[in-house]
Amino acid sequence: MATRALSSKRPGKVERVGSARLRVISMLAIAMVLAGMVWSRLAYWQVAEHGQLALAAQAQYREFVPLPALRGAIFDRNLTQLVVNTTVYSAFVSPDQITPGERQSVAGALASILGADNASVTAILQSKVKFAYIARRVSKTKADRLRALKLPGVGLQEETQRSYLPGAYAGTTLASDLLGFVNWNGDGQGGLEQKYQKLLAGTPGYVSSYRDLANREIVLGSHTHQDPVSGSDLVLTLDANVQYAAEQVLAAGINTDNAESGSVLIMDPTTGGIVAWADYPSYNANDFNHTDPALLKDNVVSYLYEPGSVMKVVTLSGAINAGVIAPDTVINDPGVLTVGGYRIYDWDRANHGNIDYTYVLAHSLNVGAMKAMQAEGHDAFYKNLQAFGLTQPSGIDVAGESFVAPPSASQMADSQYATTSFGQGIDVNMVQMLSAINVVANGGKYAPPHVVERVGTQVNPVLLQPQRQVVSPQTAAQMTAMMEQVVQKGSGSLARVHGFEKDQTGKTGSSQIPVNGQYTTDVWTSYVGFLPAQHPRFTMLVVVRKPHYPGSDRNWTLNDGYLTAAPIWQKIAQTMVVDWHITPDRS
Amino acid sequence: MQVAGAVAAEKLQVSVLGHAYVGVGAVLVALLFYLAIAAQITQSSYDISRLQDQQRQLIAEQDQLRYQEVTLHAPAQVQQQAAQSGMQRVVPSSYIPGQQVAIDLGAPVGASPADTTPLWLRAVAAILNGGTRDVQAATKK
Repeated sequence: MATRALSSKRPGKVERVGSARLRVISMLAIAMVLAGMVWSRLAYWQVAEHGQLALAAQAQYREFVPLPALRGAIFDRNLTQLVVNTTVYSAFVSPDQITPGERQSVAGALASILGADNASVTAILQSKVKFAYIARRVSKTKADRLRALKLPGVGLQEETQRSYLPGAYAGTTLASDLLGFVNWNGDGQGGLEQKYQKLLAGTPGYVSSYRDLANREIVLGSHTHQDPVSGSDLVLTLDANVQYAAEQVLAAGINTDNAESGSVLIMDPTTGGIVAWADYPSYNANDFNHTDPALLKDNVVSYLYEPGSVMKVVTLSGAINAGVIAPDTVINDPGVLTVGGYRIYDWDRANHGNIDYTYVLAHSLNVGAMKAMQAEGHDAFYKNLQAFGLTQPSGIDVAGESFVAPPSASQMADSQYATTSFGQGIDVNMVQMLSAINVVANGGKYAPPHVVERVGTQVNPVLLQPQRQVVSPQTAAQMTAMMEQVVQKGSGSLARVHGFEKDQTGKTGSSQIPVNGQYTTDVWTSYVGFLPAQHPRFTMLVVVRKPHYPGSDRNWTLNDGYLTAAPIWQKIAQTMVVDWHITPDRS
Repeated sequence: MQVAGAVAAEKLQVSVLGHAYVGVGAVLVALLFYLAIAAQITQSSYDISRLQDQQRQLIAEQDQLRYQEVTLHAPAQVQQQAAQSGMQRVVPSSYIPGQQVAIDLGAPVGASPADTTPLWLRAVAAILNGGTRDVQAATKK
């Protein structure tokens, strides 16, 4: 029995031992699998997802606050501050933190203090949004009133805003076209704000710190800190008083001329520094978001026009410098000249007979300019345009300069050379044209145009470079004498400044505006000049676009630089003479 | 001997308990001290935070005042005030003509002018003051 039992049990015992091992192994395997699952899950969270989880945890207790850099200020030449950084506040709501019973009172308070529409504020509070702005960039006074009410679910966000000085007439700020503005992201838009964005903006810093459960900063806790680097200040060559006078006179002049628009540019003859940069109509840089985008265009540097007879100063200077003509060289002007198959007339279509070049400039005769160009030759004339800076951008330190390169010397037709000699068929911007004329005022040297005199304490490198000699000082002196005659005996009589009648220069310009390749009766008119003639303190260019001078509906030639632009020049010059204490060398 | 040993043992036991009490007490004091310091630090950090907020408010106010000051000197404001005071811009009736300055900055720099001081005077000055007449002039008051 026992033997049987033994014999019968042995195989069974063997089976039980194997089964137990199997069970142990199975259990171990299961345990291993389970543990492996836990470990792998742990490894997944600890290793694979570590970065994300650490960030999520940090987001709960750690706060990263960017510290915006203080944007650099902008000063004029007399250190009058033109732009100020001010703190403004944006009011926002978190509707989920406002109970239905409180909505009406909160909406009423927001509407009364911020001037928002009560119905739309109520609609926002009833919506399911978590966050909504009620008003952007409100003043500190309003923000303080709002803060005092301690309204539930209402917050104030601090922001920095650029504030510009008031301009010469309602709804504008001073020198808005030149300065540009800064948008809500802190980026400069247009003008100097855009051109000098990097230098003005500086480098932002940050503070990384811990917050408690009530979201209060634990200042003494572990935190890292990087100070922001403030932007550099700009000191301009601009004179705020002259700028103001220019804007005021220009606005009045454009209204008198019934013109579409107009601009004034004034330059220091010896340095090329811009003293005034006015455009009409202009805009309010403090309210740029409500401004017609068309007004944001800076017509001084972004608008191309055909300069008209002002170009004769360049043409005749080049010819005198080349020695092919002199101010007293006599030519015959029958009033018309045929070039390249085209009959090109003087403005009055009259036979002027034998005249000298001083007379040609004083009476703005196209035939004389064309003959001077022909005497000089096409190649020399083209090189002259290059030397005066009319075939390349001026390179002024203001954003948005427009430029159209003229055809190469070999591609220009005879007729285009002819029309270019008196300022038609060539596109320039005002900065290019004024810089070219300023060569005469600056003793024959090209002064690079610029607006910024200093960035912080660094002088603009342009001022340290030698100026390019374009024509000889003798040529410049001869041209100055010829331009004086324009004021004394010619088309510049309406630009005479009291006391400077015999000590100022000028030149009028008028050119028809082409539309679809055809010249229309709409014109650009201009007047350029400097004063005093022998020791110029400023060179000024006035451009009027599409004037409709009283009576011009019967005689469109009344829309001339003589009647429209010269009086504007005269009034601004008269103001400058008083403000800058300029006295004539001879009177 | 046994009695003395028992007393000593009792004393020793008391002493061990006393040490434990002292230790626990010290830990408690340290804990309280730590809590007090921690509370003070937290309070200080809140104070700093509040002061920083005040500082921001003051800076904002300063910005406003700065803008007001700049605007007061702006040409538009100046002209408005002048007009309110009845002031008008007048064109000068005459000018004093400017004159050219007769200095040629391009001229070469010549030799220094000769010193005409007698030799004996220079010698006396050197002995008395150990310097030149300029030194004498500068020191005599």
